[in-house]
Amino acid sequence: MEDTRQRIIEATYACVARWGVAKTTVEDAAREAAVSRATVYRHFPGGRDELIHDVVVWELFAFFGRLYDEVRGAESLEAVMERGISFAHRSIQEHEVLQRVMQTEPETLLPTITVESNRIRDAIAGFLVPYLHQHGLAPGVDPDEAGDFLARMVLSYMGSPGRWDLDDPAQVSELVRGELLAGVVVGPEPGKRPD
Amino acid sequence: MQGDLRLGAAMAPNASAPTDVPDRVSPHRIRVVDAALDCIARQGTAKTTVDDVAHGAGVSRATVYRVFPGGKDELLGAVAETEIARLFSALGARMGAAEELSDVLVIGIVEAVTRITRHPALTYMIAHEPDVVLGRLAFDESNRLLATASRFISPFLIRWMDPEEAARVAEWATRIVLSYCIAPTSEMDLTDPARARHLVGTLVLPGIRALRAPDRSQPVDLVPIAADRAKHAGRVHQVDYLQTYPTTTTHSEGDVQ
Repeated sequence: MEDTRQRIIEATYACVARWGVAKTTVEDAAREAAVSRATVYRHFPGGRDELIHDVVVWELFAFFGRLYDEVRGAESLEAVMERGISFAHRSIQEHEVLQRVMQTEPETLLPTITVESNRIRDAIAGFLVPYLHQHGLAPGVDPDEAGDFLARMVLSYMGSPGRWDLDDPAQVSELVRGELLAGVVVGPEPGKRPD
Repeated sequence: MQGDLRLGAAMAPNASAPTDVPDRVSPHRIRVVDAALDCIARQGTAKTTVDDVAHGAGVSRATVYRVFPGGKDELLGAVAETEIARLFSALGARMGAAEELSDVLVIGIVEAVTRITRHPALTYMIAHEPDVVLGRLAFDESNRLLATASRFISPFLIRWMDPEEAARVAEWATRIVLSYCIAPTSEMDLTDPARARHLVGTLVLPGIRALRAPDRSQPVDLVPIAADRAKHAGRVHQVDYLQTYPTTTTHSEGDVQ
């Protein structure tokens, strides 16, 4: 049952990669997954809209799963944020399907991404809070508030680098130690700073 | 400044640049734009027709087309452009009057978040046609928006920091405003000046101090660099926007109930 559902989602993603979101139909997904139309509707009673929504969510969580794998071994708060931002930026740039959809039909993705970003923000904040405790917070800073703030900023920079060149590790490091962490944590622990 | 308002330009991708430039200071222009805002606040952009707007403005269809030869697309572009200009001129008036760096940031954040989140037309669009709005707030469009807003805000900051730092802080503040407008939380309601002051005091000002003293070996006082620099900050923009777009009605706090 779950295997079929997963197969339909992956088949739909393959169709989206080939033709885009708007042109992908339930029939396309069924053919690609080698199941009947009725089977698709049994797993996705909302039809095409539900299918597309679930594919976007699936790929979004796969992306953040890879991001989690990238950062979970990092030892310091600075390293978590630097590795996370660099990896996320690179992944978004290199994500051909995402880039194409964002160029040609962003309206098909953005409502889902926006709604899901609340859950993602909470997940990033939840991941960062223990690091904040470990690192030591600046006086008057509430860990949950700081975690939420950092998650918001991380999402903002990974989606839109603005004036920053996030391919340059030196700039990422400057960003993390400036705008992101300077107000949140106490000064760097001796020996943890590369310079 | 026209070319910089990419959000407005992008909303009317098909509006041709007319060779005979329409009369931008036509007395009908603002009336038509405000009537369009009222229509959008009631029924969104998709359902709003040129007839609706003409009726609301008390002018003829022909008048709307004389002011906006590109029709509805051009009109929607002008609405976005006008509202951004009104937001910036309101921000300019309030931030320009502040005496302390913390006040500039707090007042700017509160004013921007309040005007954006309580904007009747924008509120309707986010609720009923989110794709129209969100497309302007993500990825490349967001980079353009960050650049435009930062160019506007940084002159208000150069009293306390050099232009490079000001550009950096201006973009940072814009990100904060956008994030809390797109995804508000009850714990951090930035329309509340006390909450905004708390955020600026605990998370933003220490970051600015760190930019100015990267080794954090000595505290940095955020005092004005040169008093007379402030005299130039923002004023030019403010006057420019106010002349182009007289604010005959406001679409902020007062209109929301």
